[in-house]
Amino acid sequence: MKNRLRVLRAERAWSQAELADRLSVSRQTINSIETGKYDPSLPLAFAIGRLFSQPVEEIFSVE
Amino acid sequence: MQAQPAPRANWFALKENRFVLVGILWFVAYWVARGLLERSDLETWIRVVAALAPVPIFAWFLVCFIGTIRGMDELEQRIHLEALAIAFPLGIVLLQTLALMQRAVTLKFEDWSYAHVWIYFPIFYFLALGLVRKRYQ
Repeated sequence: MKNRLRVLRAERAWSQAELADRLSVSRQTINSIETGKYDPSLPLAFAIGRLFSQPVEEIFSVE
Repeated sequence: MQAQPAPRANWFALKENRFVLVGILWFVAYWVARGLLERSDLETWIRVVAALAPVPIFAWFLVCFIGTIRGMDELEQRIHLEALAIAFPLGIVLLQTLALMQRAVTLKFEDWSYAHVWIYFPIFYFLALGLVRKRYQ
């Protein structure tokens, strides 16, 4: 899957660690999602959507 | 109003620290038991108790380990699951191969007894953990 997580994070000038703290996950999880090596679970994907106030489909898409 | 300083975290209360400490305790218990069993002057019932002594400490370690895994985030849990998925079959194939080798040739008891083989299981797990972590970096 593709995602816009890095772009959304950069728009807010958050580091990966800051974003990880806001989502209560590890920095490694954020890095793995951004590099496409890991697809988040549904609850985490929705938490990301809520954090950025965007629907999940606008953040994550099938390649 | 002056802000109150945050209370110092109890080191032992943190799941990760407790898991490590109990793991070390289990490891030490094993070697103490092993050292005790080197003595030939002990009665049989004491030897059996010494051999079984690490088991309740392992049970405590297992509870701490499971608690630590449950407290991890989803990627960390997946990493540990994949590491187990690699290490467990490797352990099985090791035992299976030794079983067959035992029928093929005479294996030296000093090299391939239970005392020597068990250590491969955590080794497989830690190696697998390292490999899987690299995949998600």
